[in-house]
Amino acid sequence: MTEHADSATVAARMERRWGTVSIGIILALVFMAAYIGVHQGVMPQPRVETVDPRTLHIAGEFIESNLGTAAEPDGSVTVRAIGQQYSFTPQCIVVPADTQVTIRATSADVIHGFLIEHSNVNTMLVPGYISTIVTRFPAPSERLMPCHEFCGAGHEGMWGRIKVINKAAFAKLAADQRRMTCVAQ
Amino acid sequence: MSTEPRFSHRNRWFTIAVVVTALIAATSAAMGFVVLPSLQTNTRFTGIWDAICSAAGLVRAAPAGQPVVQANYKTTDVILSSSTLDGSSAISIGRGATLAMRCTMCHGTRGVSEADSPNLAGQYIMVIFKQLQDYKSGARTNAVMTPRVADLTDRDMRDLAAYYAYLPRLPPYHPATAGPAPQIVESGAPMRNIAPCATCHGTLYYKTGSAWLEGESSVYLQAQLKAFASGARHNDISEQMRNIARGMSSAEIEAAAQYYANQPQ
Repeated sequence: MTEHADSATVAARMERRWGTVSIGIILALVFMAAYIGVHQGVMPQPRVETVDPRTLHIAGEFIESNLGTAAEPDGSVTVRAIGQQYSFTPQCIVVPADTQVTIRATSADVIHGFLIEHSNVNTMLVPGYISTIVTRFPAPSERLMPCHEFCGAGHEGMWGRIKVINKAAFAKLAADQRRMTCVAQ
Repeated sequence: MSTEPRFSHRNRWFTIAVVVTALIAATSAAMGFVVLPSLQTNTRFTGIWDAICSAAGLVRAAPAGQPVVQANYKTTDVILSSSTLDGSSAISIGRGATLAMRCTMCHGTRGVSEADSPNLAGQYIMVIFKQLQDYKSGARTNAVMTPRVADLTDRDMRDLAAYYAYLPRLPPYHPATAGPAPQIVESGAPMRNIAPCATCHGTLYYKTGSAWLEGESSVYLQAQLKAFASGARHNDISEQMRNIARGMSSAEIEAAAQYYANQPQ
């Protein structure tokens, strides 16, 4: 009888320990996800927005004359771009240093990748959906923006450039253009 | 061995397990649906319900941005599709043949030009239809073509496209003696952001809306590439061809044009 009671106590103790360990692991993962989200800028897409990939060029924010960088009244900038087989439009994106940059991009045909080297911008451009990324480039520099999602036979030729210039130079550009790019420069 | 029922509130283990699981679920939900969205810098927190819907992946409207900047030139408004023009009927082709009488002066009696105007025989139906639409809308301009398409109806353009697509096209002619295909055609210039011609125009892969180039006049091809590069021609959807042509050297333009133009003498 006592032997039985003892083994029941041991079993309960072990159950408790395993329970504590597994709950601990779950809580640690939840808080890890939250910590990374808050402190390392790894945030999911804030909201799901859709767009018809067949009519991007006809109306809406992704028509060719509206692509490029726009200065916002609050001092930040918005970059609009599209990926299509096999180039990004615009091919060269110009942004000011040390400024909040909101990138809004989508695809006109298949899934493309959108990655800016030396930054945490890394997303996919999925036809039908708008990808939104908020970032900030600390200092003037030039970066590559390769399509990193195989998109077809010409995939290796598909990449763009990001040109980060200082705020004053950008303000000068913004004075006489409403959408800025650095294509053919 | 305990004989009490497992799923009962009298079972202490069961009660604790349910309570703990519910607490973890509630904490995670609060964290994911409310706390994290409210800390996000890329969107304004407009309320718990909105945050929950957004985090749950419901489609939301785009925030009102600045007004869209319209181009000061006309761009194409054709929606490309590989299927809308499929299955052209004999009536459509016959009607197109009659309408095509007015095109023969430049594009040849059977769609093969003897001047440097483009061959239309066997051209993809969507390509001819799109170019006619673009001439009519003004997205593409040409002193000869623009006035000739002014009175064409949508149906006329479909019929013309069906007729020319039905005619036999010039086959590719690249004998071994002519040497290998130019690099720009086969591999592009990946270091300069240029995909190979053959990935959209055939051989390697085909992209809807791209033209059949084999047998096309070298003069015409070079003129078009230069017009795309300078932006003088801008009816390509979202700059897809301007992006390529802009980076091509004049030697590459010439090589590509001559490769495609090659035909038996």
